Amino acid sequence: MTGWQGLALVARREVRERGRSKSFLISLVLTVLVVAGAFVVPQLLGRGPDTHRIGTVGDGNEPVLRAAEELAAAGLAEDEEPDTFLTLPYPTLALARAALEADEVDLVMVDGEEMILKSSGFSSQGGPVQLFQRAAGSVRLQELVAENGQAVADVVAILSSEPLRVSTLSGEDLEGDLRPLVAYVGLILMYIAILGYGTWTLTGVTEEKNNRVVEVLLATLRPWQLLGGKVLGIGVLGMLQFLLTLAVAFIVVRLTGLLEIPDLPIATLVVLFVWFVLGFAVYSVGFGAAGALASRPEEAQTVSFPLSTVAVVGFFVSFQVLDDPISPAARIASFFPFTAPYVVPIRNSLDGIAWWEHALAIVVMMASIGLMVRVAGRIYRGGVLRSGGRVKIREAWRQSDL
Amino acid sequence: MLEIAGLAKTYGEVLALDDCSLTVAPGRMLGFLGPNGAGKTTAMRAVFGLITPDRGAVTWHGRPITDDDRLRFGYMPETRGLYPKMRAADQLTYLGALHGLDTTTSRTSAGQWLERLGLTERANDPVEKLSHGNQQRVQLAAALVHSPELLVLDEPFSGLDPIGVETMAGVLRERADAGSAVLFSSHQLDLVEDLCEDVAIINKGRVVMSGNVDQIKDASPVRHLEIEIADGGGEVISNLDGVIRSETVGRRHQLLIDAKVDVRSVLRDALATGQIRRFIYSTPSLSEIFLEAVS
Repeated sequence: MTGWQGLALVARREVRERGRSKSFLISLVLTVLVVAGAFVVPQLLGRGPDTHRIGTVGDGNEPVLRAAEELAAAGLAEDEEPDTFLTLPYPTLALARAALEADEVDLVMVDGEEMILKSSGFSSQGGPVQLFQRAAGSVRLQELVAENGQAVADVVAILSSEPLRVSTLSGEDLEGDLRPLVAYVGLILMYIAILGYGTWTLTGVTEEKNNRVVEVLLATLRPWQLLGGKVLGIGVLGMLQFLLTLAVAFIVVRLTGLLEIPDLPIATLVVLFVWFVLGFAVYSVGFGAAGALASRPEEAQTVSFPLSTVAVVGFFVSFQVLDDPISPAARIASFFPFTAPYVVPIRNSLDGIAWWEHALAIVVMMASIGLMVRVAGRIYRGGVLRSGGRVKIREAWRQSDL
Repeated sequence: MLEIAGLAKTYGEVLALDDCSLTVAPGRMLGFLGPNGAGKTTAMRAVFGLITPDRGAVTWHGRPITDDDRLRFGYMPETRGLYPKMRAADQLTYLGALHGLDTTTSRTSAGQWLERLGLTERANDPVEKLSHGNQQRVQLAAALVHSPELLVLDEPFSGLDPIGVETMAGVLRERADAGSAVLFSSHQLDLVEDLCEDVAIINKGRVVMSGNVDQIKDASPVRHLEIEIADGGGEVISNLDGVIRSETVGRRHQLLIDAKVDVRSVLRDALATGQIRRFIYSTPSLSEIFLEAVS
């Protein structure tokens, strides 16, 4: 049996046993339900067009309401129904205010000049209020350009579009750009994977040490096979769980038509995947070594606290990179193994990294993983057969016997 | 042939092994005896590369042990270790595969061992659901599933009931008869005396006595002699040279004598004085030899 065969056997056991454990299945079902629910519930709650009841007093309201209806219809897909406005005229302002007080109308419009709301709550900031503001603006504009024969519809079309084309120094068109979204989603996924699946490795190693099966295994396997197999197995299982969750999200989004699924460039996804694997590997190997130092599962979180902190700090540092992918900090963080998995995919998504920088970052990362495997492997060796209390890193390093 | 030669290992200030040497031959069973902390576990771990000795060597058939050799070794550590939530049969199949068996062979062998140890009905139960004794049986099967050429067991009998002891002893005997070299540590000296051809006694990290059990006993400088003569026979005892210790209960005399004493002349003298009801001449038990060796 070759060394890699041993590693593969360990990985396969990890996938099989962990994959059919109740805790994994429950977490999988819950994750899928939460993701599906996150898309479905808001749609169920907000399904269909709203009907707004507008109380009117005086003249001059009609053009604003008409413009508002046109604005509401602008930018909707063919099969979508726009919001509608039910107009309820009142002879006096006092009657209109009374109707507003009694919730018979959502707002009162006076002479096309003023809106009266029931209170200054959250709804006053958005919804029909914003729409009427824009509609009133378009009516004013229409009045100004009327002498040139412009129709209200033309004015509305101009106001509801984004007339300025936006581009960057590198010349690419940012219209409809989804890359910041991809970078952001990628960053979140990376963070969840590193901490979530890293914790699996951590507790898995501690459990093997705690229930002493590790001595039986190490009588046949080398420590690198055991640690490597565990990291690989958990990585594969984590990836499966992730892909399944994403697939469910994709299907739900398609079925509900909630979001338009963008055509993501394959190269961006490949880069995301590569860094996902690299990031998971470097952290997971570290968590494996930490697990070997703990004597009990309850102690594992404490032992791994420094590494978890690095992961969290790296995550927050990456938000700066989202804002400025070519800053000196972003460049430096691309070559540090604990921040690179967050930073490089973002910079790549935002076209903020040169190809040579990217290649060098991968080389540095691979070398770091190699070094990490050796360092963590030695700590793992020194710690995993020691029982009776937490092992200090220095002791584990010095007494690494295998 | 497993040979441990001049093994030394220290942990900080603690001397775990100090020039420890022993050999285990194929087809033979060696009982590894020693007080707690004498270095038995450290020596056994060295066979599997679980510790690196400061000095000395462990060889298999005259050459350093390789990873491939270890695939044909079976190990039952002192601190039992199995995956608690993994099914017994799956666990054995996995461990068999780690020792180089293909999945089908490994699964078949796992099933055979579970049957042999009376666990067929529990094959698909997680190990944590089994009783302590049954977990111990699965642990033994884990060391045997790949039919190892060398079997090393650290305290395999501890915690077993008499039926468990008998089963374990039977299995070990079978393996040795099938040609495996078997090394196990134990504090149950009578059991070792009954079961093993060879023995090694370790004290403070050093093997102080080793070899064939009968030869070791024969080499002892003392013998037990128990005599009971119908009319007392006191003068036989009082005239006997080389008595180290004597105790008389009624007409029964229990003596510890020098091994050089000619027991046939004692028997003749006893016959001359009266009717012999009891005359037992024996080497010391392994327990006595052990206590003498480690004291």
